[in-house]
Amino acid sequence: MNVFLAVLWKDLLTEWRSRDRAVAMLLFSLLVVVVFHFSLPGGATSKMEATAPGLLWIAYVFASILGFNRAFSMELENDALSGIALLPTDRGWVFLGKATANLVILGFVQAIIAAVFGLVFELALLEVAAPFALVVLLGSLGLCSVGTLFAAVAVRTRFREVMLPLLMLPLLIPVLLGAVRATSSLLATGELDFSADFVLDE
Amino acid sequence: MKTPAIAASNLEKRFGRAVALRGIDFSIPDGTSLAVVGPNGAGKSTLLRLIAGLARPTAGTLQIGGDDSHRRATRGRLGYIGHATLLYPALTARENLIFAARCYGLPDPAGRADALLADEGLAPVADRAAGGFSRGMAQRLAIARGLVHDPKVVLLDEPFTGLDRSAAERFASRIDGMRRDGRTLVLVSHDVRFAAQVADAAIVLSDGRIAQAFFDAPPDAAELEHAYLAAGEARQ
Repeated sequence: MNVFLAVLWKDLLTEWRSRDRAVAMLLFSLLVVVVFHFSLPGGATSKMEATAPGLLWIAYVFASILGFNRAFSMELENDALSGIALLPTDRGWVFLGKATANLVILGFVQAIIAAVFGLVFELALLEVAAPFALVVLLGSLGLCSVGTLFAAVAVRTRFREVMLPLLMLPLLIPVLLGAVRATSSLLATGELDFSADFVLDE
Repeated sequence: MKTPAIAASNLEKRFGRAVALRGIDFSIPDGTSLAVVGPNGAGKSTLLRLIAGLARPTAGTLQIGGDDSHRRATRGRLGYIGHATLLYPALTARENLIFAARCYGLPDPAGRADALLADEGLAPVADRAAGGFSRGMAQRLAIARGLVHDPKVVLLDEPFTGLDRSAAERFASRIDGMRRDGRTLVLVSHDVRFAAQVADAAIVLSDGRIAQAFFDAPPDAAELEHAYLAAGEARQ
């Protein structure tokens, strides 16, 4: 538990000082929003409502990949990762600390991107803010647990920026399908649909 | 018979077909300062990683205080100080030590950090980011980080790398202080003169084997240098 809290504190403090992870994730996500804004018809059309959840989660996933890569590459500076490996503790606590820090930073970025996305694409996200936040939280839990694990695996590999998405994206398909479907149902009906039938329907 | 601080028996480490270490046998009592020297690729760092529990031997046994080196509890008895400082540049000196102290579950992380900063003469710069430290200051902070949990065994991996002469002299005297505290030290270094200065025993590695060992008496600098050069020539 000590290690979990220490790693969480250290990662958040480091990010607060440098802001390099959050800024990179935000800029990248905003770029995605801008590109989609120019390539898709504007206004709250039914086509837009059908497409928006997928686009939003694409922005979230790409932003998260940037964040996961940085979360462990910072441990390579001065070989701090060896310092963590030498700790007489269950390494699961290190994973939990890293994953929670990733979740907090991703959550901050997601909140801003959702607001921008809602404004740009005229989506009524405010009306469904609470259930939407729940969907994003659950989806992000899946993203961060899988992403943090594979970022740890990929960190010592030569092409870690390429390795991470290759490793994590296939495993994230069920999480993303569920998150996109739940977001779609929220935007279309204003209600959450957690039914897993869609997996069989696909 | 007293349990040795470190005991290696027929230790072997392979990476695929490549043999990094083979037939390594040695045993040192508590409080010994062991220098491990040898040319590049001799297996020094691999041996240190095995002792630190960061890698597992392919064959043979390696025990720290009677316990297998890769056991979790064993890692708590080890401190590591290397040319890589293990520090986070964005954190201040104090925050780096508080982080390490928290990770080791110490009861008063801030108090421990302040005590170590005072020991290393870093109290005036305690609130400066470690990323702005000179190499010598960073190395002193790395010493404090390595000793934060008061380890019985301290592993020193090329700690003189990048230090100027006066900083290296200061560091050698700090190592001497660790010896006087009764810690067991394992020093991996290319700097044979400094190694001889701080060691009670030494092994010279060449091609993953012990080419020469000095266990009966503290190694003489000239003798150790001669053995080191011979190991390098044998490799060529």
